Amino acid sequence: MAVIRDMMPAFELFQPTSVDEALDVLERHDNTWVLAGGLDSMDWFKDRIKRPDVVVELGSVSELTGIRASGDGIEIGAMTSLRDVVASDDVRSRFGLLAQAAAEVATPQIRNQGTLGGNLIQDTRCWYYRGGWPCYRAGGNICYAGTPRSMNREHAVTGQSRCVAVNGADTAGALVALGAQMMVRSAGGERVYEAEDFFVGPEIDIERMTVLEPGDLLTHVRIPGDWADARFYWEKVRDRKSWDWALASVAAAIVESNGTIERARIAVNGVAPTPVRLTDVENLVQGMPANDDTGMAAGELATRGFKPLRHNDYKVPLARNLVRRAVRGDAA
Amino acid sequence: MSDAAITTETATGHSRRTFIKGVIATGAVVSSSSHLFRARSLSASAAVRASMPRMISLNVNGVSRSVDVMPQETLAMTLRYKLGLTGTKLGCDRAECGACTVLIDGVSHYACSLLTNAVRDRSVTSIEGLEGADGTLHPVQQAVIDEGGFQCAFCAPGFIMSMVALTNENPEPTREEAAEALSGNLCRCGDYNKILNSAMRAAEYARRMV
Amino acid sequence: MALIGQDISPPDLRAKVTGRAKYAEDFRAEGMVFAKLLLSPMPHARVRSVDASRALAMPGVLGILRASEVNQPEAPGEAALTDEPKYVGEPILALAAVDETTAADAIEAIDIDLEPLPFAIDPLDSLRPGGPDARLDGNVMRFGDSGRELVSLKWPQTEFDAAEAEGRLPMGEPTDEWDHGDLDAAFAEADYVLEDTIVHQSLTHHPMEPRSSMAYWEDGRCYLYGSTQSTQRAHQAMASQLDLEPGELVFVGQYCGGGFGSKIAGVPIYQVTALLARKIQRPVMMRINRYEENYIGRARPGFQAWTKMGFRRDGKITGIDLYIIQDHGPYGRSGDYNTAGAVTDLMYQPDAMRFRGLTLYTNTPPRSAQRAPGGAQIVAMLEPLVDKAARELGIDRVEIRKINAPTHDSEFGPGRATTTSAFVREAIEAGAEQFDWAGKQALSGQRNGTKVTGVGVGLSPYVGGSSGFDGLLLIRPDGKLYIHQGIGNLGTHSMADTARAAADELGLEWDDCAVIWGDSSQHHPYSSVQAGSQTIHAHTRANYAAALDMKRKLQEVAAAALGGSASAYRVEGARVTGPGGSLSFAQAAERAIAMGGEYSGQELPEDINDYTRASATQLAGQGLMGVARDNFSHEGSTWSWVVGFAVVELDTETGDVRIVDYTGSADCGIVVHPRSLAAQIHGGSVQGFGQARSQKWVFDPKWGVPFAHRLYTARPPGILDVPLSMDWAAAGEPDPQTPIGAKGIGEPPVGAGSAAVTSAIADALDGRCLCRVPLTTDVILAELEGRAQPHALTEIHS
Repeated sequence: MAVIRDMMPAFELFQPTSVDEALDVLERHDNTWVLAGGLDSMDWFKDRIKRPDVVVELGSVSELTGIRASGDGIEIGAMTSLRDVVASDDVRSRFGLLAQAAAEVATPQIRNQGTLGGNLIQDTRCWYYRGGWPCYRAGGNICYAGTPRSMNREHAVTGQSRCVAVNGADTAGALVALGAQMMVRSAGGERVYEAEDFFVGPEIDIERMTVLEPGDLLTHVRIPGDWADARFYWEKVRDRKSWDWALASVAAAIVESNGTIERARIAVNGVAPTPVRLTDVENLVQGMPANDDTGMAAGELATRGFKPLRHNDYKVPLARNLVRRAVRGDAA
Repeated sequence: MSDAAITTETATGHSRRTFIKGVIATGAVVSSSSHLFRARSLSASAAVRASMPRMISLNVNGVSRSVDVMPQETLAMTLRYKLGLTGTKLGCDRAECGACTVLIDGVSHYACSLLTNAVRDRSVTSIEGLEGADGTLHPVQQAVIDEGGFQCAFCAPGFIMSMVALTNENPEPTREEAAEALSGNLCRCGDYNKILNSAMRAAEYARRMV
Repeated sequence: MALIGQDISPPDLRAKVTGRAKYAEDFRAEGMVFAKLLLSPMPHARVRSVDASRALAMPGVLGILRASEVNQPEAPGEAALTDEPKYVGEPILALAAVDETTAADAIEAIDIDLEPLPFAIDPLDSLRPGGPDARLDGNVMRFGDSGRELVSLKWPQTEFDAAEAEGRLPMGEPTDEWDHGDLDAAFAEADYVLEDTIVHQSLTHHPMEPRSSMAYWEDGRCYLYGSTQSTQRAHQAMASQLDLEPGELVFVGQYCGGGFGSKIAGVPIYQVTALLARKIQRPVMMRINRYEENYIGRARPGFQAWTKMGFRRDGKITGIDLYIIQDHGPYGRSGDYNTAGAVTDLMYQPDAMRFRGLTLYTNTPPRSAQRAPGGAQIVAMLEPLVDKAARELGIDRVEIRKINAPTHDSEFGPGRATTTSAFVREAIEAGAEQFDWAGKQALSGQRNGTKVTGVGVGLSPYVGGSSGFDGLLLIRPDGKLYIHQGIGNLGTHSMADTARAAADELGLEWDDCAVIWGDSSQHHPYSSVQAGSQTIHAHTRANYAAALDMKRKLQEVAAAALGGSASAYRVEGARVTGPGGSLSFAQAAERAIAMGGEYSGQELPEDINDYTRASATQLAGQGLMGVARDNFSHEGSTWSWVVGFAVVELDTETGDVRIVDYTGSADCGIVVHPRSLAAQIHGGSVQGFGQARSQKWVFDPKWGVPFAHRLYTARPPGILDVPLSMDWAAAGEPDPQTPIGAKGIGEPPVGAGSAAVTSAIADALDGRCLCRVPLTTDVILAELEGRAQPHALTEIHS
């Protein structure tokens, strides 16, 4: 069979108006695909690599959009556009880390259409996998990106397990750092995951980026008030200032008192198949002054054990320095 | 032959709105507007079978138009090949260049990466919708002309739509804010300096109009 | 007031801002159907068999076109379809169906059997003993005693071993070599000698408009709608590729959504559209998508190079030894590397120089000229080295460029050519003043937190004009001047700007002129390919020549009508006036039609091109015709110059770079259209920024498959990757070898932008030169951190 790209194959389209209705459609059909903003999905469809029979477009499910108070924090519908996340006073005033990260996703048009949920569950950009190569993640039994001659400048330096792809979601690291929870519904009911547990690495499931299984819907993201008063640090390093995914990014929430770090929650992304929460670093910096020495120690610890591939050694100092800056307290 | 379309009610109780079925057609029947892109594939995958006519109503540039749309069809394709609105350009068809930028309820979107069915109840504005009925140019268009325009201008419709969104949302942009607002549009001639000059002039003209 | 030198509104602006401008994919025809391509999944293969029976049996499928049905040029030429694909993405066959969805489904239903063949992605791999050849007939083309020959060239292992031991580029037997002066003596005289291996990437043109086309046949004539840099030359080339007489083909290309050298004359894939349309007897639209454009859309060849440069204490360059291995792709023969040698010699004027080089066929997408072919690469590579020497010798970096710059009489290159003019120092001085080079030196090395500022300068020459084309003008009885332009409309506005040479000579307001372009049925004169910055030079000359002819005829028509001698009549204010009274242009046109002969185009000059003759014959009898070949003298070769000045901020902890300030200053003769000149300087420089910072190719070396085939992986610069505001200047001195005084300017800003940025990055790194393009964040960070670079010394697609 010859290969051709850039023409979407036909599918059946459902546009439910409620979560229940959406779940019902998903329950009753095989080979389904849930479409949020559709930007990641359409790449797959146009490449004719992912070929669902049934697409469930969630744009009309109003219960999935909007930002509201929830306990001492907020709850954001998964279908809320990144634009609305960035513009939200609630997000900006108390959880600015998320606003900063969301504001650097791709381009204005993509943020206008793309949703928080879609950004979080986007598939990896490993160019072997996206190119339709039959790798582990695509159900095969080889990783093309991890061999000594592979081209892997943008791949993982840690957390590799047969697959060396990275998570590309800018908002993922921010939500891990904010201690967010992901609310998932399926026909079987609702489940709640800590953000850091929501993302799964290849050692758990090599074909998925998150816990979501067919029939599951990410419905809301809940951000508790725990870190609302923290100092935030977000930085994304990329080749171009728009459109690009991160070569590496850091998201940190740090509570200080008189220059001493009381508690911190830090995640890096773009370095592993999942966003990486740096628990050891958080413990290390507790009680330490927020300065470059602490930052350097934090950065060194964060990157200890990183295993760069042929073309991505630079991600080790890059991640180290991003953590260093976050802890040091640079103006972002 | 029969085509696919919106059902009135399905056995499973989904509303008319929710259930749009894909397609199979049985012969090489040319649609009434044969010079346009044909409505649907003649060879849809075996898993997708239904047979209902399927016209939807789209509000484009203030006019409601009836159009026959496939489930997987993007707005850019509908505009260009069904409605004859070729001002919306396809530069990449992958949300990577911005040449297809249109406004949906006033907000900029990539028409290449938006299902037409997803904008059924919304207002679509393309480059063709900016000019007044009497030929008066939109202030953004006038500003672009007064700055000497684009170079090859294949990106121009997309940039102009982003400038319209900018002037609506931020009447007094700084040059930096203008650049940020236009950062989803690519110009391979590299004419960004002149484009930013045009955007700043456009904001000025738009302010004068108010 | 003369139009030249003023900003004007080109006649196409309103269409461009309203969406009414029709590019190739915007045309429709009754019954139009759609074509799709089957692309090679392998870097080099032979098609063993194709079974399209399942596809052809699908409802709505109308036919396929195979390689055997298209023009197959002699090796190493490129065909539009092939049964021996030589790069991933090369079109093997095309299929037409009533809609694109059906066509795509049908392509998938084709059973194709490919036999893999050896392939070469990196030129050096092909030169190793036993290394693969990209073509079955060899890896290089040589000009031997028996003319050109394709051969398999291998270098001895000892050379590779020696190169590895010395940490330099392997340099075995070249195919091209020239020198002048005594190189050994030049290096002996030098106070400072540097030696470096330098690598420059290949990069795709990626014009915004992919090369889509539409074609149909009517009454034995083919109507082809495409995107091209020169309508007239595309018409000729496509007619030839389709084995048609020019009269049997109508080529329409009113708007060209960017070319940058990739849409010069005939675009091979347009053949497929036309031939499919003929085969299935239906109008065919071939919508080329970005993925396909990446493959068939042309690219700039990369270089693996080495240089040794000697400098005297006072900054004078004594000798240059330059070796370039060019990465060519599988077809044709691009001369970028040779041009790079000539550019080097021209801009640095060494007492002695040796150039050696060769171009290697590789199984990567085909190359062609890309804005300043050869020049843009070499200045980006060498200018930071000149900086390095300037630092070592304690000489100001702008000063060292002025010290070595050529003057009007300087010679260069293998043939010791001369230039028509070289106002290089004037351009450098105008730019340095505009940019405030002296003041901005204070910024160099300044630190702000983790950011350090670098200031850079890059000089870039390129050919800026050709001559010998025809002008074709008509004053119709409506009194308007119709200026027929065969060049395309690719956004430089030269289609309008060069017309002004005729308008000015005839004393007309712009509103009295109409430019006819973009449709061969509207009759174009023989024109340049509108590439290599020829146009403003070539076509101000051609239009001026035709205007002189027109002026003489106006005078003679008036004298015949009103009495007196022709020379006593003046042409001004859209009238021709003399002792016997005055005729309006409208009246003169009527008179000319009545007089016939040369006045209305019934008789034509002997020396015009046959193409122009055919066009003029079609227009004969419709008004007063001015038609002439450009026979003005043109001694020496015409070169334009841009010098770029850049400020960057480099983050020492991330390797991130922002270009925060930029000024480009040109020597392009007189300024014809200031705003358009600014756009060319800035736009070309922005393309240079992409070359310096982000754009590249990546291939898996084991499988020969590319990855940077979408815009997000190819990374052309966006609006946030360039300074918020850019400046420009021009020397403004007329070139003495052309009557209008204007030289082209499209090419040189690319190298200036690229070199100014690589120079500024080196400045921010305390003068450390990374000898590589692009300088991406990872490369810079590895340097800052003293870690292993992500690429081997000569690795070209990383």
